[in-house]
Amino acid sequence: MQQLAKRRLIVVTGKGGVGKSTITAVLGSALSRRGKRVLLLEIDPRESLYQLLGISPSSGEIVQAAPRLFVQNLRPRAVLDHMVREHLRIDMLTDRLLASPVYRHFVEGAPGLKEMAIIEHARRLARKEYEAVILDAPATGHGLALLTAPSVVAEVIHDGPVGHLGRKLAKVVADPDMCGIVLVTAAEEMPAQEAIEFMEALDQRLSRAVELMVVNSLYPDEPGLFKDRKKISEKELRQLYARFQGARVELPLLPLDRGPALVTALTKFMRSER
Amino acid sequence: VIRGIERHPLVVVVGSGGVGKTTLAAALGLNRARAGESTLVMTFDPSLRLKDTLGVGEEAKEREVEVEVESEGRFFASLLDARTTFDRLVVRYAPDDRARRRILENRYYRHLSGRLAGVLEYMAVERLYEVASEGRYDRIVLDTPPTRQALDFLEAPERIVSFLDSGAIKIALKPWFDRKGRLRAASRLGILGRGLESFLDRMVGLALLRDMAEFFQAFEPLYAGFRERALAVQELLRSEKTCFMLVAGPGSEKIADTMFFARRLREAGYHLGPIVVNRLHPSAEAGELARWLGERDRIGLEQLRMLLPGSELVSIPLQPRAPNDLSSLESLGRLLPD
Repeated sequence: MQQLAKRRLIVVTGKGGVGKSTITAVLGSALSRRGKRVLLLEIDPRESLYQLLGISPSSGEIVQAAPRLFVQNLRPRAVLDHMVREHLRIDMLTDRLLASPVYRHFVEGAPGLKEMAIIEHARRLARKEYEAVILDAPATGHGLALLTAPSVVAEVIHDGPVGHLGRKLAKVVADPDMCGIVLVTAAEEMPAQEAIEFMEALDQRLSRAVELMVVNSLYPDEPGLFKDRKKISEKELRQLYARFQGARVELPLLPLDRGPALVTALTKFMRSER
Repeated sequence: VIRGIERHPLVVVVGSGGVGKTTLAAALGLNRARAGESTLVMTFDPSLRLKDTLGVGEEAKEREVEVEVESEGRFFASLLDARTTFDRLVVRYAPDDRARRRILENRYYRHLSGRLAGVLEYMAVERLYEVASEGRYDRIVLDTPPTRQALDFLEAPERIVSFLDSGAIKIALKPWFDRKGRLRAASRLGILGRGLESFLDRMVGLALLRDMAEFFQAFEPLYAGFRERALAVQELLRSEKTCFMLVAGPGSEKIADTMFFARRLREAGYHLGPIVVNRLHPSAEAGELARWLGERDRIGLEQLRMLLPGSELVSIPLQPRAPNDLSSLESLGRLLPD
């Protein structure tokens, strides 16, 4: 947390179902309680951050969840259209372009453009209005696609504003001082395996590591049902930690429904970082 | 009401990420093979353990690999990989060697074909067409890609057709560049044209546009086939031959996800088969957390029963450990409906 608190841009990744959004809310609430002005960005047509924070849905707008804590659900296409508009600067032409089916298909199919627009949006807000912007990335495979999008675009487009933006953002994402990456996982086989694959791919493609690993939903040390599960999770933890020696937090499975009470309870555990 | 998996040669397993779709798809496949059928399970992203359990490796990306089981039926597994399938498509359907090389050596194709948005889903459609039309299996169990919106796969055929029918392809197919690699329109339009050319060059670079135009042109002989196969798969997915097994996580907070899938499938006219609520915590007497989890999952199941009347609801209790050999996979499969 100490290290992470210095980053203005933080990307939270992990396999679907491990509690990425919950951890995004927990990190946001921890940082805002330390006095930072924080924005949480979600990219999912089915919003979930608002439930965790007990507010009404964002529907694309920036909404306040707590003192110094804000939430926005991003519509990738709207962010991209905004970026195109800015670069073209000719309204009539832009309107026609944005409305044309050819542009729509190009944008749907062209790899990396939407992802790049999202990172640029986050980077800008992190530079001015907010001291920390936390991006709840899509599930691992797609999270990697998000993080590598700028370098993919820069690889193919060498010149011009798009290529230039690609190179600039590729540098931001590859620089641990500018962009912190949090990997959320569970001590179960599939999530742990995917976490290891994610770290390897990150090292290979961006030559960098994650800043913090959060192992979520650990079963307690209790007899009965949890005994076998606990054995499995200990084995998976050993494998994870054999490959990652950086900062990590272990969070317990708590008898609480997804919501503000769960976020508050987990925020307290964030101090137990090793 | 459509009941019973055994009536449907194709079973599509859907559900949100992390609910155990892939393992259940494999267990169901093994189950059917034990029942004497020649079964293929197609999966996207199996765990190392599942690959070990089935005894398949990278070679399953290229072809269907037979898993040795003691039964009258036979059991095959295949792994879906976007790039391998794409390359194979090109090799199979390009009209001649020259067209084939033109695509495979195109810079745009080499860099981006594996990374294009939705390629995995398109390739799943193509692969499904391939195995379904060969007719070598009594039953195919298809695991769907690990996206949160796992229904992307179902929309892929429609998207392929809509893309091919839109103006985008026609425009891409125009001879944009002359022999010198200059924009044709630019030379016709005089000063304005040169302005346009330099604008495009500035934005994305003419080299990229040339590669893209070349890519779309090289693909021209293949479009009709893409369209035809996409339509065939769309029809197959909606037909009586296909049923969807929806896998859901336990607990009341997962109900919204499950209802979303069930509603979308029914609205779109697919046959919703059994709904499998996976990893249900048993009721417990001791321990605060164990009691809470048991109660949470019991209430969740009750609510689903009320919200989905007429659906076959199957619950699978949380297993002490994930299956790590064929016999434990088979025990899991026995908990699934026939």
